[in-house]
Amino acid sequence: MNITKKMTALVLATLMGMSVMTGCGVANEESKKDENADTGKKVLIFGDTTFNAENEEANINPHDTYCGWPCVRYGVGETLFKFSENMELEPWVAESYENIDDNTWKITIKDGVTFSNGKTCDAQAVKDCFEHLVEVHERAAGDLDIASMEADGNVLTITTNSTKPTLINYLCDPYGCIIDEESSEENGVVVGTGPFVATEVVTDDHVNLVKNENYWNGDVKLDEVKVITISDGDTLALALQNGDIDAAYGMAYASYPLFENDDFVFTSTATSRAFYCQMNYNSPVIKDDAVRKAIAMGIDKEGFVNTLLNGYGYVGKGAFPETFSFGGQNVKSESYDPEGAKKVLEDAGWVDSDGDGIREKDGQTLTIRWISYPSRQELPLLAESAQATLKDIGIDVQLNVTADHGTIVAEKDGWDVYAAAFVTCGIGDPMYFFTTHCLDTSSKNRGGYHSDNIQTLADEMNATYDVKKRGDIAVEMQQEILDDNAFIFCSFLRMSMISKSNLTGLKAWPCDYYEITADLDIE
Amino acid sequence: MGRNVNRNIKIRIIVFTILALMLVLSAIFADKLCPFDPYQQDLNLAYSAPGLSHIMGTDAYGRDMFSRVIMGSRASILSTLALVGIIAGIGTLIGTICGYFGGLIDSIMMRISDLCLAFPGLVFALAVAAILGGGILNAVLALAVISWPKYSRVARSSTLSIKGTDFVQAAQVTGGSSVYIIFKHIIPNIAGPILVTAMLDIGTMMMELAGLSFLGLGAQPPIAEWGSMMSNGRSMLQTYPWVVLSPGIAIFISVVVFNLLGDTIRDYIDPKMVD
Repeated sequence: MNITKKMTALVLATLMGMSVMTGCGVANEESKKDENADTGKKVLIFGDTTFNAENEEANINPHDTYCGWPCVRYGVGETLFKFSENMELEPWVAESYENIDDNTWKITIKDGVTFSNGKTCDAQAVKDCFEHLVEVHERAAGDLDIASMEADGNVLTITTNSTKPTLINYLCDPYGCIIDEESSEENGVVVGTGPFVATEVVTDDHVNLVKNENYWNGDVKLDEVKVITISDGDTLALALQNGDIDAAYGMAYASYPLFENDDFVFTSTATSRAFYCQMNYNSPVIKDDAVRKAIAMGIDKEGFVNTLLNGYGYVGKGAFPETFSFGGQNVKSESYDPEGAKKVLEDAGWVDSDGDGIREKDGQTLTIRWISYPSRQELPLLAESAQATLKDIGIDVQLNVTADHGTIVAEKDGWDVYAAAFVTCGIGDPMYFFTTHCLDTSSKNRGGYHSDNIQTLADEMNATYDVKKRGDIAVEMQQEILDDNAFIFCSFLRMSMISKSNLTGLKAWPCDYYEITADLDIE
Repeated sequence: MGRNVNRNIKIRIIVFTILALMLVLSAIFADKLCPFDPYQQDLNLAYSAPGLSHIMGTDAYGRDMFSRVIMGSRASILSTLALVGIIAGIGTLIGTICGYFGGLIDSIMMRISDLCLAFPGLVFALAVAAILGGGILNAVLALAVISWPKYSRVARSSTLSIKGTDFVQAAQVTGGSSVYIIFKHIIPNIAGPILVTAMLDIGTMMMELAGLSFLGLGAQPPIAEWGSMMSNGRSMLQTYPWVVLSPGIAIFISVVVFNLLGDTIRDYIDPKMVD
């Protein structure tokens, strides 16, 4: 009796479970296909891990924090120039520029460029856009340092307060997307010149895009694009596997083998997105030169890249990858040397006196608080790997890998090491990284690092127009921050996007700015 | 017939107690039983499939899964036992006091327990764990805060039903203090249902603790804990299944063993339940 009851219950439970599941999976894909076949529309569904508030992407208005990234990535906005595969400037909305004198630049906008609302994008429109940008965007205002602008037909003349050799590069940062100021909407949906028009923007969830019927630069092949934020790597992998999405950005490395077959296509490129550690000089432990040096010597960068990232990355040395002339090949940094690190700590008086494997000095245990965040899947791996290798040399690492990292790092003494990801050469010029991270005024100089030498070299670079000379100064500056062990560059991202094989035109770019373009097509 | 059933139950109790004891002992002596250091990373061995040297394979960091599963039993099983011990103790004490004295204290405590019971358990635990921060101790505390009312309810109703019995009244008449009566006469007589509740609760609590760790609110890296091991390995379910299946099977086996033990003890203590 008892057994029969139990068996019946089990069978019923199984049946119920199965009936609940029938809604999922293949049926979904078929209904989606039918829908598209009915309307004859080409619809791309793109899964992306990055469009969320955690990445300071609350909307797609380029004048708001880092919201320019989704604006340019999803084909809504375009910048005056774009970066080529070698990170060189190429015409985009503008056709050419001319450096009149140290502080004056003349930019000629292409004929016939229009916003998606049909309005002409001339020098006046660009001027209006930039005026608003520098008014509300602190980082842009600092980078560009614009004194005045003049618009005459298609020619925009920009005068800067100080010498800005990289003004044009900075204008190609995503915040430089040209948008129509007059039709800007409150909820972050902006009107740009790109191949797609945003119809709905909900951060952490989705961006709906439709074809820009007025696109100035050729025909747009797709009718609709839906970008879905999928922050969880497994959900992303399953979504691509079962056809819920057509392409994915930010797939977990462990899932790559699932897509290495004829049904899917990879597009990969080396980028300057660095996974790096920043030291907090406000922390007494970190202030100790020996501790920073030991940490730098205690991280197994090669193991991290080759094993934990499945080889999808490049071991970091300096602030820039070796693809740049001023890259890591020119500098010397600490390499993984546990024995050497132990000696450095011992010489500095950090010894394990109580035999628990962790060193102490003057009654203080060598514990460091390592803060990082999970939305870049490399960072939790780096954290746990470093925790183990640093423990070997006698450093106790307490991990806090949380989406709430911003709040913690904002507290001066709430952390010791902050591991993050950053595109160090996003504008094709080395000054970008130093301006954002290493100067007294830098917005991301979270650890209060200061070096007189760096300040002097930065001033020198800011006054130098010669590209070769700028590269030399960049090498010198990198060496300085590496000698101080103020930063540790662990690896650089080899960025990949995976798509179904029927999607064409998807291409990974070293600057990581361009994803959804007019060239995308579904066959 | 009745005797036969009783004998069967006894055999079952012995078998499941031995199994449960084996799990508890392996948790206590985990550091002696691990063939490898469960925290030692060796990236050269990452993702090794189960084989002779690593019978459950290795994870992304090249750590031996078998050793981690054994070490994980310490965090999972011992924490669960501690948790159930704490909530059974505190819950019973509160319930007994409420049942014995009644009045204002009874009303207050029972309304508080109503509050706790009204929330969905895991959601409340999530909120508590999020406020306290990560860590296995905080996860235990979070679950303890929400789980004690179950025991206080059982203890209170049992206390009420024996409060009026002759032996309690006799103890009161002979001048026994309340504390003496509660500990000497009441608690021993209501221990049966409490024990059954506690035994059946072990499996549930183990799952909830693993659940909190899975969500990142329980054990923090690198602590080996089954829930967080499953969470870390879930992206490898299709590519390196052993990384997620090993801790999963461990949770499954432990929960089944403790549930069967609880079931059998209930059958033994409360024979009416047996068909």
